[in-house]
Amino acid sequence: MIRQGRLLSQVRPVLWNFNRDLTELAVIASGLPRWMIAHPGSFLLFDVLLFALPLAWLMSGLRRWLGVAFVCFLALYLLLADIFWQMHHEPFILYVLLPMALITRRSDRFDTIFRFCRYYFLYIFVSAAVWKIARGAVFNGDEMSRILLIHHSELLSGDCSGWLCRAYAWLIDRPFMAQLFYISGVLVEAAFVVGVFTRRYDRLLLGLAVLFVVADLLVMRIPYWTLLLGCVTLWLDTRPRQRAIVVYETTHHENLPALLDCCEMRFPRVVVFLREGSFANLSGGQSPAARWPATEFVVQAPGESNRRFIRRLLRFPCSHLHLATLDNNLWLWALRLIAAPDLQVSVTVHEVNAFFTRPLGSLRDVTETLAKPLLRLRVRHYHFFLPAMAQRFAKMMPRAVTVFLPSRFYGAAAPVVDETRPFTIVIPGSVDANRRDYEPVLEVFRRWPAQLPPVQLVLLGDSGSEFGRSLVAQLQTQTKVRHYEGYIPEITYEQEIRQADVLWSPLRIHKTGSRHNPEIYGQTTASGLTADILLNNIPALAPEELILPDPFTIALLPYRDAHEAAQRLKRLATDDSYRIRLRQDIHRAFGYFSREHFAAAFDRLTALDPKGEEGAADAIDAVHPGVQK
Amino acid sequence: MKSQDSGRPLSRHKLQAKRWLIGFFILQIGFDLAHSVTAFPFVHYGMFSQSFPHPDTLTVFRVSVDGETLRPEDFAVYRWDMVQGPLGAAEKRAVTNDFAGDKKRLGSLYNRLRPNLDNTGDFAPWYKGYLGRLLGHPVGVLKVDKLRYRWTDGRMVLIQTENWIYA
Repeated sequence: MIRQGRLLSQVRPVLWNFNRDLTELAVIASGLPRWMIAHPGSFLLFDVLLFALPLAWLMSGLRRWLGVAFVCFLALYLLLADIFWQMHHEPFILYVLLPMALITRRSDRFDTIFRFCRYYFLYIFVSAAVWKIARGAVFNGDEMSRILLIHHSELLSGDCSGWLCRAYAWLIDRPFMAQLFYISGVLVEAAFVVGVFTRRYDRLLLGLAVLFVVADLLVMRIPYWTLLLGCVTLWLDTRPRQRAIVVYETTHHENLPALLDCCEMRFPRVVVFLREGSFANLSGGQSPAARWPATEFVVQAPGESNRRFIRRLLRFPCSHLHLATLDNNLWLWALRLIAAPDLQVSVTVHEVNAFFTRPLGSLRDVTETLAKPLLRLRVRHYHFFLPAMAQRFAKMMPRAVTVFLPSRFYGAAAPVVDETRPFTIVIPGSVDANRRDYEPVLEVFRRWPAQLPPVQLVLLGDSGSEFGRSLVAQLQTQTKVRHYEGYIPEITYEQEIRQADVLWSPLRIHKTGSRHNPEIYGQTTASGLTADILLNNIPALAPEELILPDPFTIALLPYRDAHEAAQRLKRLATDDSYRIRLRQDIHRAFGYFSREHFAAAFDRLTALDPKGEEGAADAIDAVHPGVQK
Repeated sequence: MKSQDSGRPLSRHKLQAKRWLIGFFILQIGFDLAHSVTAFPFVHYGMFSQSFPHPDTLTVFRVSVDGETLRPEDFAVYRWDMVQGPLGAAEKRAVTNDFAGDKKRLGSLYNRLRPNLDNTGDFAPWYKGYLGRLLGHPVGVLKVDKLRYRWTDGRMVLIQTENWIYA
């Protein structure tokens, strides 16, 4: 308005107009316009108030009386603007009505006013269509041609060299073509009647509103942008959302248990959308339905596209969404989440660096690079499997709420050493030379003394690759090896872990991530060890560069080289009392990994109020007071 | 924003809100049916809905500042509206004799409120100063002509020029 010279102090009028509006007549009759003309300084005062009042209202934390003052003043300003320089009210009515929703402190009233504003926005279009139909203009074949002629006469009276002016002239001489524009406009306006009966097509109507305004500018040279404020009523769905959390998971189902335990603890309704494979392997010992009886599982149907599955998920009227895996479809998620601004969203980040890299090597890279800033703008709550990851992320995105939650809570029985079984070492994870360094493993078994108890080595991951087969062949010449090819069912996986005497995670600490991004185990990404280790109270052998926080450290047996690894293994294999003592220490320390200890962290992740019995979604309430509590 | 439910049943609030909502729309539709008059915030959205007859002539205001004619192509849409809008309003005031017909409808009320309802300002000097502010430089000589055109053979043909403002 300032740039276009439309403020009252810029116009400094000396005359007024009567626009056949009764409210305006009342204002004129009150003598205010006359007084303002006699005291031109009042124009500047009104302009200052126009900006100062909403600012003061916002800065005061939306104090009611300031809101009422602002709405009343805005209405008066609009009336004066029309009286003095004929700024028509039509696109500005919602500027008066919408702030009323923020004046009320009651969520149901907010919802009602907001819904009313939505109906009013629909009415603007529908009413415009009805006028055109009822007054017969739509049936007048020359209507648009004549409108263009009258409306653009100033432009047409010049040299009319621009393409737009030539297009108007062309249409004026072709009434049928011009009328097609008019009829299209009426159809677009009339389409808004659909919104009276359903909210299902609100986003489509929003698109039509933008299209209408763009067409209005091009065809009529009427800049009606201000009307688009009403689109907010189509964008935001303020109907009370059900207090429920939806969890989306694709490939990292082994990390879900703790999250689901917390969800069941804090939400009356939990729904998990996941793939069939993830569902089948979610819980090792029992079925997911038995393990989490209060949770509903929605399995992606065979052949159902991700896009369709995600759309199905977002139709669920939940208050919270947690993306337990966000490896793919970033662009789709970014757009979808921006289109649902009242949804409280949290994300599990598996690779910190990947979330900030900007690769451009392929189309997928480009879309992900574009999507990441949008996601960071939209999502403020993040979950990590290690505190170091959370700290690293917080440095890169200081505004984020970063929370450490383990993959699962500890629930193993007190340790008992079974002396009848051979000493068992389990190396969990797929046999992958990029992620694990097997040279120390080979070295240890190459020199394993014959007088020591025999060792059962379990390669608990897919060893079907060429490298995997070669490794198995080499190890089999040195010790007894059990190995797997393909995906290992969770029940088998957990059974092997539980029967192990020691886990060995020969990680390469610096690894290349899923998008060829550099990641550091323990710092920017978590290995599966942090989930596996909580299945039982057994120690884990790991390179000393892998730094895990307390109380993980009690279970870690760090090694610098193969010699040191061999020393540690030999002691475990031969000293039963050391082994049982160590496991008892781990059992005690891992008691920390309980639901109760992480309830507060989960509340932070989901923006729940810990004071409430069931919590209150403050983050949502701020933008969406309609949430049911 | 915390919920401050007073304990009354929600359905009653909803019913009350619905009554307001229905009341507003009844008033809105009432004013819509009343065609010629509005009462803010009940306004019409019937722009470009009347059947336009073919215009015999088209009036265009030609504004010249210090000998230079202002052209719509040189202005953003909004700014051009701000150049032309006051001229249209001034002509309407002149044609209606300062809205005499509307004032007459007020009957005896008009006489009581007359000082507040009558315009006394002088348009031409104000417009000259206003245009200077809009253009960002003082206007030495302002000339406004009313030009009448006719649309013939796909172009505007000038048929009459009337000098209106010279200040």
